[in-house]
Amino acid sequence: MTSPISTSAVFWTIWLFVHLILALGLLGALTHQAMATAFPARQAVGGIVTRFRAVSAPGYATAVCVLYVLVFLVGSFIYTSYRVNIRIPLEQGHYFKTGGFFDFKEHVSTLGLVLLPAYWYFWKNAQNPEYDNARKGVTLVLAIMVWFLFIVGHVLNNARGFGS
Amino acid sequence: MSTVTTNSARAPTSASGASLAASRKFKVFATTFSITGPVAYCLCVYFNWPVFTYFPAIGRFAWGVSSVQSGTGPNMLWYGWTLTTILIAGGLGIIAMMLPERVTNKIPLFLVWLIPILAIPYVIYSLMFWWRLAMRE
Repeated sequence: MTSPISTSAVFWTIWLFVHLILALGLLGALTHQAMATAFPARQAVGGIVTRFRAVSAPGYATAVCVLYVLVFLVGSFIYTSYRVNIRIPLEQGHYFKTGGFFDFKEHVSTLGLVLLPAYWYFWKNAQNPEYDNARKGVTLVLAIMVWFLFIVGHVLNNARGFGS
Repeated sequence: MSTVTTNSARAPTSASGASLAASRKFKVFATTFSITGPVAYCLCVYFNWPVFTYFPAIGRFAWGVSSVQSGTGPNMLWYGWTLTTILIAGGLGIIAMMLPERVTNKIPLFLVWLIPILAIPYVIYSLMFWWRLAMRE
């Protein structure tokens, strides 16, 4: 018979895995787009780096917004368990930097969320040169934020992941 | 040899997405929302303005700020701060949509990426209690 604790651990681990998969999709899409924006390729042919930059960047905008919101929602759901089952042991173990960086991550995730409407609008009007600089800036800022969120989440999971 | 201009290519959009993307009013809403959102969030954190507080150990919600009491477990304010931020930025976005075009055309678009960068130092400062504890170790 399975104990309630292990059932709960499996439940949260599955949600954490869903969070990871969605985050990987978001990271991939946004990194492609940021690279294509920062270092646009003139030709679609070439090495792997050139082809990585030569994607049709506007096509990623809606997918990035949808993925960001999904990652945000799943992360917000997991956060309830983190607050009770992970953060308290982290504090008791004096892992204050780890706890601090997770709180930093929560703030950055909200700052990224509020950028999405303008980000989407600028990309849906990619043919308008008036928005070129703003589009480039907001895409790079969002990509840096998402990389930060991913790395902090990954390190935190290594420090004390679910089921540990 | 064919040359492609990858970044200026038009993306295929749905009818509703295309109309939204072509809307001047949506542009005003989106840029105002994204510019005021980080400012609103910093104000929410500084003044502690959550719409609600959540107690994850007992699964209870409370309106506004609710402190930890015996038997409630830890409280979570971040959900409430995020919702307050969305409501404030959304409200300001709607107000901005009602302003005349000569006013909204003057909104500097670079603020969309600059404001969140400027918000980061405050966010780090707001977590000072963590850094102080870490430095004592």
